[in-house]
Amino acid sequence: MNYVALKMLFGDRAKYLMLLCGLTFAVMLIVQQGSIFWGLMIWSQSSVSNLNVPIWVTDPGIAQVDEVKPIAATAVDRVRSVPGVEWAVPLYKGLLRARLSNGDYHQITLTGLESSTLIGRPAEVLEGRFEDVLQPDAVVLDQWAVERMGGPDVIKIGTVFELNDKLARVVAIAKTQKSFTNIPVVYTTYERAIRYVPRERRTLSYVLAKAKDGVPVAEVTKRIHEQTGLGAFTAEDFGWKTIGWVLKNTGIGINFGTTILLGFIVGMAIAGQTFYLFTVENLRQFGALKAMGASTWTLARMILLQAFTVGLTGYGVGIGLATVFGFFTARSGGLPFIETWQLLLLVLVALLAICTFSALISIIKLARLEPAIVFR
Amino acid sequence: MIILKRFSVWIALAGVSFAGWVLMGANKIEPMPTPVSEPPRSPYEQTVAASGIIESVNENVRIAPPVAGLITKMFVAVGDQVKEQAPLFQLDDRELRAQLLTRDAAIPPLQAQIDEQKYRIGDLDTQLRRLKSVHDERAVSEDDLKRTWYALEVAKRAQQRLEATLKQAIAQRDEVAILLDRLTVRAPREGTVLQVNVRAGEYATPGASEPLLLLGDTQRLQVRADVDEVNAPMVAPQASGVASLKSLAGTKIPLTFVRIEPYVVPKKSLTGDNSERVDTRVLQIIYRFDRPPFPVYAGQQVDVFIQRQPAGPAAPAPRPAAPRQQEPAP
Repeated sequence: MNYVALKMLFGDRAKYLMLLCGLTFAVMLIVQQGSIFWGLMIWSQSSVSNLNVPIWVTDPGIAQVDEVKPIAATAVDRVRSVPGVEWAVPLYKGLLRARLSNGDYHQITLTGLESSTLIGRPAEVLEGRFEDVLQPDAVVLDQWAVERMGGPDVIKIGTVFELNDKLARVVAIAKTQKSFTNIPVVYTTYERAIRYVPRERRTLSYVLAKAKDGVPVAEVTKRIHEQTGLGAFTAEDFGWKTIGWVLKNTGIGINFGTTILLGFIVGMAIAGQTFYLFTVENLRQFGALKAMGASTWTLARMILLQAFTVGLTGYGVGIGLATVFGFFTARSGGLPFIETWQLLLLVLVALLAICTFSALISIIKLARLEPAIVFR
Repeated sequence: MIILKRFSVWIALAGVSFAGWVLMGANKIEPMPTPVSEPPRSPYEQTVAASGIIESVNENVRIAPPVAGLITKMFVAVGDQVKEQAPLFQLDDRELRAQLLTRDAAIPPLQAQIDEQKYRIGDLDTQLRRLKSVHDERAVSEDDLKRTWYALEVAKRAQQRLEATLKQAIAQRDEVAILLDRLTVRAPREGTVLQVNVRAGEYATPGASEPLLLLGDTQRLQVRADVDEVNAPMVAPQASGVASLKSLAGTKIPLTFVRIEPYVVPKKSLTGDNSERVDTRVLQIIYRFDRPPFPVYAGQQVDVFIQRQPAGPAAPAPRPAAPRQQEPAP
């Protein structure tokens, strides 16, 4: 019977391809939009993930990573005094204007890392050595800064520019994840960052910390909050906090949510309709089977097999196409496209729901089918 | 299997495996790059962390001249080790030296006069004795005897006067000598010359804002640790601690407790700016340490970890907002 079902499915090549195309594009649309949406979300918290440290400590009222609220400089020592903290280092983060020698102005994010450990530096450097940031007036740019500030002809190793009227010299270019706002990131040491920025009473933006091995990170963040009164977040929580802020305060969530929902509805409509038509056109065959004594249950199984076969094939082709698209467009990091297994699983469930739904409509039709239809 | 004869199924399989391969590769979380040097870690289970600065045990001495004057010679250079009372620099002393010459010259004439007076006394003494030895009243009159006696006594008094004058002259010479000695400025205590801000030929005035010389003790250093006032109750006197230089966090320098400064001072964030900005207030704790095998310098910043007493006061957690008790409704 299964053979007959598949033979029916594959037998009409044009119908099969139409069905496959409908499902493929529905899957591709959802996966692609979902991945771009997730990519944007990951970009929005790239300030957290680029630094790649386990614990962030700052003012408890912080809304998201780029909204800096400076704290007292002794916070580093207070965090170090909390049991279970293995180390804690200061971080400066703030917006500043850079002036290039050709007169261009660019807003940049100045990131000051603790000078002796350079904790929070990017793992990969495209040009130069990150350690050279310890030289006088040295700064490290990320690759997006090069792109934004005029390309590799204007910004290269050795380029000199002004930060708040003070000299900055590029010694390396680091590879980082692009950020949502795409403001160039300039890395330097904490001490020099404070020298660059205009006078403020408090300059420490964040304390970066790590829990001792064997102590749960969540426990340490709780202790830090209880003992110092500061807000302590794991990198993951802080990333989610930032994503939550972006979803709440921008239209991205609604935009992409609508697109994904539309993809789902369109996919469901196409698949349901095509599959229903497919069943209707094969009513005679089904009627013959029924006349030969096949039960409705057997026919239902055949329909479901057909639906799932074409559905899974469409799923495979769809995610394959979406992945190829993402692989080639986002490989350079210039487009937000991040596929996750959760998304693929979700799409699979949605697709199976579409298939089951359209199969059900057909099954209802079949259940009511009179075998006599063959003779009409 | 009929299913395997379809090209689309193979495409689908390829798609799934490609997506799987991309996912495997893409969503790996890279481990944090290892720090350039080890971050400072506490050796204690319970600790109070502080930031410290290395300084000399005794405060630095700002050497000033006793009087305004021209500097004629510098005896030391920056970095010299000096003993107590070692000469540091010489002020122009020609005027006093000239005075010393005249004062010196005033002494020999007085001594000569005293010697002269001694002979005069001897002469009179001999005369008086001779006159006294003659018992014939006709040969020696009472008057002569008396006269000679008076002359002798006057001569003796004159010698006393001359001796006093000599003493005065010597004192005057010594005064000039002392004043002269004062123009050689000496080290008030053993130490190292940290700064030299004058050169020979410059004019030194007392009370200048910049010290002429800065003398400090770099042999014995101490650590001044700043503890945030919030953490101040956690620090017990006599608590042991360790310090580590920035970029040498792996090497711990054991510290010995000296004292807690009784006054909580505003912390300065050392930015190198012209005016330092006050951030918060800190409790300062002084620690002594033995020189480690690697060089340390006064003025260097260190990370300090102080052992927290297990039985010490509990962590000053912000009091959780207790639910306010419902007042009974009237």
